Amino acid sequence: MGELKYELSQNAYIKLVLHARKHKTAAVNGVLLGRVSPQNDAVVEIADSVPLFHSHLGLLPNLEISLIMIEEHYSAQGLGIVGYFHANERFDDLELDSIAKNIGNHICRYFPQCAVLLLDNKKLEALPKGKDRSPVMQVSAVFVCIELSNYGVSVSFLAIKRFWL
Amino acid sequence: MVTKTEETQLNRLENQVDNGGGGAWEYLCLVKKLKVRRPDKVLRHGLSILNDPKKRSALGPDGRLEGILLEAKGLWAEAEKAYSSLLEDNPLDPVLHKRRVAIAKAQGNFPTAIEWLNKFMADHDAWRELAEIYVSLQMYKQAAFCYEELILSQPTVPLYHLAYADVLYTLGGVENILLAKKYYASAIDLTGGKNTKALFGICLCSSAIAQLTKGRNKEDKESPELQSLAAAALEKDYKQRAPAKLLLLTSALKSLKTS
Repeated sequence: MGELKYELSQNAYIKLVLHARKHKTAAVNGVLLGRVSPQNDAVVEIADSVPLFHSHLGLLPNLEISLIMIEEHYSAQGLGIVGYFHANERFDDLELDSIAKNIGNHICRYFPQCAVLLLDNKKLEALPKGKDRSPVMQVSAVFVCIELSNYGVSVSFLAIKRFWL
Repeated sequence: MVTKTEETQLNRLENQVDNGGGGAWEYLCLVKKLKVRRPDKVLRHGLSILNDPKKRSALGPDGRLEGILLEAKGLWAEAEKAYSSLLEDNPLDPVLHKRRVAIAKAQGNFPTAIEWLNKFMADHDAWRELAEIYVSLQMYKQAAFCYEELILSQPTVPLYHLAYADVLYTLGGVENILLAKKYYASAIDLTGGKNTKALFGICLCSSAIAQLTKGRNKEDKESPELQSLAAAALEKDYKQRAPAKLLLLTSALKSLKTS
């Protein structure tokens, strides 16, 4: 199965974090867009992200319409949906709930190297006060090593889980 | 927004209270009015008021404030005990019920929250909250039931029609999607044709029904006009508000019709 690397661009990352911060009391989600790197098959570049919802994440119609439109828009730029992002409502909740898993599995069907990012709320809280810039990360799945390029902010709060089908 | 005078007053009171002078009550009232975030100070001074038995009786016959302060501190168990004892005296008080449910939700204890909400069913907010909890747990049938109750009690609120239609669509199955289409239509009716989500919902429903009834004989009860009307309305809306995205919309709608 080999090793896979994910490169998360600053743009994608910032959009997701800002979305999560804006809706502090709700669960939020979003999709990650990107492609397999043309130079190296084992690297997935996550070039952009689209924040989706901050309420009623479990309802299908909105999700369907947004995914249709997102795919249309980004296929013109050569990017596809490569992953899913989720932030839980509660501060100490670090579990990926069934909705997120279902969506992640669904994306995996179309893109086997799909990544699911779960926001660690505790580290998000510490973000404005933190000053260290070294990427300290929790990696909680085998076969995944994260390489982050072009960063101005500490990325210590992402917990990354990955799903195989 | 906090005006200059209010801010100076706030600071003055803060200094006064911090240095042991009186005026804690005025300080708390001002903080509440301005919705300024000063949780530690509020907690400290609030608790000092509550712990002083003389002032406590002046607060009023119920100890709601005490419960809220305990909640803010994060002492869920004590707060829950306080509310439960208060509820014994006032079994119909909606505020207390809601605070108790909020505690359960904050702890992640969904089954308890659902149980408590089910006991206390007289309030629209309660039904809404219950429906949202069910949706987040993917218990769509129960969520549909909650929305039905809401629509029965407040039939002219388009939001409930829309949410009910969403849940029906998520449940799936031809009958549900047909019903969902009707509720999207009623939501559009109630909002005078301006609700984008409902318009999209109609397009989605029509394409889903077409897909699901592909094999059977088509009894075209539902006219295809509805979908084309909805599509036309969406295009008009986009032209006005987001002309750059119009192309995207038309291609998305096309893919819905053909899929």
